[in-house]
Amino acid sequence: MNLKKVLAIALGIFSAIGGFVDIGDLVFNTQAGATFRFQLLWVVVIGVLGIIVYSEMCGRVSAVAKRPVFDLVRERTGFGAGLATLVASEVVNLMTCAAEIGGVAICLQLLSGLPYRLLIPVGVLVLVVSAWVLPFRWIERAFGYLGLCLLVFAVAAIKLHPAWSQVARGFVPGSHTGGSLLVYLYFVVGLLGAAMTPYEVYFYSSGAVEDGWGLKDLGLNKVTAIIGYALGGFLSFALMIVAGMLFLPRSISPQFLGTPALGPEHVFGRVGLLLALVGIIFAVGGAAIETSFAGAYNLAQFFGWRWGKKERPAAASRFTLSWLAIFALALLVVMTGYDPVRLTEYSVIFSVVALPLTYLPILLVANDYTYMGAHVNGKLANFLGVFYFVVILVIAVAAIPLMLITHGGQG
Amino acid sequence: MLVLGSILVMFAGCGGGRLLGAKALLQQAKSLQSEAAEGALLAQDTAAGRTTIIYTREQSSVLAKAASLIELSLSRATTVPAIEPDLRRLAELAGRVRADLGRIGNASADEERALARDLQAAAQASQKIGQAFG
Repeated sequence: MNLKKVLAIALGIFSAIGGFVDIGDLVFNTQAGATFRFQLLWVVVIGVLGIIVYSEMCGRVSAVAKRPVFDLVRERTGFGAGLATLVASEVVNLMTCAAEIGGVAICLQLLSGLPYRLLIPVGVLVLVVSAWVLPFRWIERAFGYLGLCLLVFAVAAIKLHPAWSQVARGFVPGSHTGGSLLVYLYFVVGLLGAAMTPYEVYFYSSGAVEDGWGLKDLGLNKVTAIIGYALGGFLSFALMIVAGMLFLPRSISPQFLGTPALGPEHVFGRVGLLLALVGIIFAVGGAAIETSFAGAYNLAQFFGWRWGKKERPAAASRFTLSWLAIFALALLVVMTGYDPVRLTEYSVIFSVVALPLTYLPILLVANDYTYMGAHVNGKLANFLGVFYFVVILVIAVAAIPLMLITHGGQG
Repeated sequence: MLVLGSILVMFAGCGGGRLLGAKALLQQAKSLQSEAAEGALLAQDTAAGRTTIIYTREQSSVLAKAASLIELSLSRATTVPAIEPDLRRLAELAGRVRADLGRIGNASADEERALARDLQAAAQASQKIGQAFG
């Protein structure tokens, strides 16, 4: 493997780490740590492994069949089921995009002191211009690299000197203390949903087609999915550990997006605070672009429109109008003043309900010799794929009842 | 349909009646405790020069707004006679927390430290009152 190839893989992994955390991870990991300390770390491992399994499948399907996931969803499941998947994923994409935009505006407010409602359109404008001007690869990389500022949470977690034996115990599921069983289960569902959000696989598979992946990129796909997401998962651990060390002993229940930044601020002072806020802005801003693109990819692929960031906007006009429309609708949702944290909680929980619709077609297509030839799922990929599909089905059924019964984890 | 229905229910579920039961009051006490404790941490870090003026002002203003909503809700609420005095004490405490949070970021280092102590005491008081509802 030459140096150029190694560098390309390293850059891909760095952007995957920086781009791993979105507003759902930020909210759920911090709240889970502040409520149950380290006891839910094992859920992050399960969630990260799940997104690795399905992202690898998606990337492989795109590299072999040269077609993205949603293109195959309609073909494999038919118009009716495909339309249901499309509607569910578009609703979740819109809610997630709105929550991410709200997150960007709040962090900009915490940095600048300017009014929130002014910063919402400013934030959207900056994101739209970035998405319009930057090539596809650089959208991923610019936001991913700057999102790496979130590593300040990892260093803060170490500097807070947690009892590492307790941290290690958190990776083993077992009995819990600190809240009711239902609240515990609500966070299990939320953390899995935050780690396995559908837009990530739609974006990943369409991105693979945009990047022109072929059979030679199957190794890159595996390495990026496994190492990128696994290392990204460390940021989730860090968020939970910081919250468990700083917020839980003080009975602080993080209800606001500015609260997680108190962790690095408390440990490193102003530099820590600024790194945390900048990291959140870019991680969450990048996710806003990904959700808007994922929505446009799905629409275009379902209806057979010309699509792709590499196309001229006029050539793929319906695709371009779609992602612009998603940004515009998300802007309207946030401008109503609805709390982005609540919006995040709802978007994650509703995305859990839509998960089976997203992942079943991927599993079916990755097992189909017609599309995949010799690159169909092996035994391990199938075992993990089926295991995760069962997990997804269970949490999809439990998600909304748990949210209603626990009042969104409040007990 | 289930998803859309639930979204409508969640969005329409904001607000609430004037009669608050023990469970709702316990929730309010926990929220107030959390806001006071976060304010105490923020004031303490502000006094130590760890944070930026803008972050302190914006975050304390968000916390003060949340405390003021709790104060408003509690001051308009009624409950069963047995816990009515605790409801009034909690409403009064919410007013104190709101006022303290409003002062963070506009005070000297010594005053910030005093605010941190006050807010910490208020967080403990809120927890104590909450026990009456639990």
